[in-house]
Amino acid sequence: MGNSKHLGLILLAPAGVFVILFFLAPVVLTAIFGFTNMSTATGISGGAYVVNESTMRALGERFGERELAGRLLRKSYVIDEAGLQAARESGAEQATIEELREKYLGRNFESRRQIERLLKKLDNRPASIRAIKKIAASFERSVVNIRFDSPEELVAAIEGYGIVLSDAQRQALADVSYTGWVFTTQNFKTMMELPDTWRTMANTLFYVFSTLILFNTGFALVLAILTHYMPEGPAGFFRSVWLLPRITPPVLYVLMWKWLAWDNGFLSRMLEPLGIAPRNWLLDTPANAWTFVILINGFVGASMGMLIFSSAIKAIPQPLFHASEVDGASRWQQIRHIILPQLRWPILFITSYQTLSLLTSFEYILLATDGGPGGATEVWALAAYKKALSNYGGALQYGYGAAMSLVLVVIGVVLSLIYLRLFNFKALTESPKIEQ
Amino acid sequence: MRILLENFTKKFGDLTVIDNMNLEVRDGEMLALLGGSGCGKSTTLFAICGIHRIDGGRILFGDRDVTHTTSQERNVGVVFQSFALYPHMTVEQNIGFPLRLRKEPKEQIARKVGEMAEMVHIEELLQRRPGELSGGQQQRVALARALIRRPSVLLLDEPLANLDAALRLEMRSEIRRIQQETGITAILVTHDQVEAMSMADRIAIMDAGKILQIAEPREMYENPVSDYVARFLGSPPISFLEGRIEDSAFVEPSTGTRIPVDPEIAASHAGRAVRLGIRPEHFQPDGEVPIPGRISFIEIQGRETLFDVELPDGTVIRSIQSANEEARVGQEVCWGINAKKIMIFDENGLKI
Repeated sequence: MGNSKHLGLILLAPAGVFVILFFLAPVVLTAIFGFTNMSTATGISGGAYVVNESTMRALGERFGERELAGRLLRKSYVIDEAGLQAARESGAEQATIEELREKYLGRNFESRRQIERLLKKLDNRPASIRAIKKIAASFERSVVNIRFDSPEELVAAIEGYGIVLSDAQRQALADVSYTGWVFTTQNFKTMMELPDTWRTMANTLFYVFSTLILFNTGFALVLAILTHYMPEGPAGFFRSVWLLPRITPPVLYVLMWKWLAWDNGFLSRMLEPLGIAPRNWLLDTPANAWTFVILINGFVGASMGMLIFSSAIKAIPQPLFHASEVDGASRWQQIRHIILPQLRWPILFITSYQTLSLLTSFEYILLATDGGPGGATEVWALAAYKKALSNYGGALQYGYGAAMSLVLVVIGVVLSLIYLRLFNFKALTESPKIEQ
Repeated sequence: MRILLENFTKKFGDLTVIDNMNLEVRDGEMLALLGGSGCGKSTTLFAICGIHRIDGGRILFGDRDVTHTTSQERNVGVVFQSFALYPHMTVEQNIGFPLRLRKEPKEQIARKVGEMAEMVHIEELLQRRPGELSGGQQQRVALARALIRRPSVLLLDEPLANLDAALRLEMRSEIRRIQQETGITAILVTHDQVEAMSMADRIAIMDAGKILQIAEPREMYENPVSDYVARFLGSPPISFLEGRIEDSAFVEPSTGTRIPVDPEIAASHAGRAVRLGIRPEHFQPDGEVPIPGRISFIEIQGRETLFDVELPDGTVIRSIQSANEEARVGQEVCWGINAKKIMIFDENGLKI
């Protein structure tokens, strides 16, 4: 008998793997990415330490080391064994090399002109200017655009050219020259600072609660109650009609709305004879855009509430309706005193469930307005998606997008906990409150 | 208030459930609608309270024709089989609900609810919810809610069916007490003849949408119009013997026993096949017309014992006796039928 416990676990294991892969891991990764500055520029794997225009600009701007930055970008010249070897290979005379080694080994030059001047003054001077230039090139050293795996290697290379760095400079250089992603809380600071953030949040709240109250709960309730008082045949037909948006492919569904709203679409054509100029009703004003966004989402969302509420009304024992009728209740009083109180739990369930689902759903908005006009209908989830995964310039800010998503995750978790507590989900999953 | 059904007809689709029924419920009486399931008794009740629209005839409350009024306007009190208490309301809110719908002042509602609660003995339960009540308590709440509006008529739909045996006994007398105290006209729908006999002033027995007989319980028990009614009333039920009228007596063919019958019946039905009804209390060891048989079954009911006596052709006559410890199953006995109490039914089952 004890084995059955393990058997259950084993049978659940594949599901567990999927849960971890597809549910848990994304949340954890989102949380991690949210605290990085990952972007197309940094890549998502590790980076290298590089001296280049942009890292040196950062060195100047963030640490005031403009002079050092300028020097690192310039080429320098060192007379060392490697240089002598290169010079020999480029055709320098043995005597010239010997003289350089004896007299000048270890010397640094900050410019090509300096080392060329030295070469000209040598006893064993190279024969031609061309040869001088060639030999000088052998001693050229630069760290620009060379990828170093660690800051130590970068510093060693730089110091090899005779540039002496202070500890502070080393640290600063290590900071700025890193081209990979780093952990940072900058995303959240930026988020707090950007005015767009607050607008998107306000949009989101407006979108979620308007759709929820008007359609997902409100209209669903109206439909359920109306169909309850209809004969069974028409009621079933009516409910099926309202299920259609739910089972229409979203892309086609939104496309039909677009056909309705386009400047040469149905609405414009219908209104033309009335003297109203054709226009894109979907996008011409924020108010219109919102109307369409809420209608598009609401028509889809109402069906679930309608089904849940309808079945909950059906579960109310028929004698309760009879009793309330003989007690003198009008239709309205019956709805108010019998149906609505009995629907308390389904209403709370739909409200909480749909809040969470509306918070994260942006597919219909993406397809319909794409957040337009001018960001008027941009909701949080859409903004996060755009930041992280879809951007005009191709400069995707994975880290920032993840940070935005993380905010959504936190809001979702907090709301869930509030709903769980407030609405006592335990009671929701208990046997029905209605007794026969 | 007097309730009158005139040529009441009810159809469900093509099926006529009740055809041209006429029924008068007298002011202040409790009338039981008794019948098996599907006989149309609940349909009649639902028609009276207005939940079902009727397809023909009239319904009168007193002199008022309520045929076309909704149940909201009829002022009826109904106690449903399931009690149909509102689970989300307290007992107090349940009882006061009909008044609240009429927007009566709160104090007035509270006062009336208090009075009602007192009458049905549930004063201490007012703040509870139906889920926290026993079946009997729910029944009392349902009664109080039905009565608080001082309805024209109180309709009780199988009010005791959901209670256990002990409670059923208690509520039987409670409902009767409350009905008599309020003097309200009441209609009791039941399939249980004991309930009907013990609670009602008169019984209307129904079968297949028709009223077979309306009478006071004793009258109906002693003088049923047909063998169907005779069989429906009485527990243990009546036994029947098939036979013929010959020479002013009923002749039981398997034993040849002759049971003298009323001379008038003997004359009018001479030589014809009839059915004889004998109630168990009228078949006793010291009965006047002995008939031989064998005890095939004994059921001890405590104070009384029920015997099945099988005649040679397999017909069974039941006897109920208060004390008879000698009789054993298989024993041959020759108990007697009380000839004055026999009922005779013709080929169509009608009492002669």
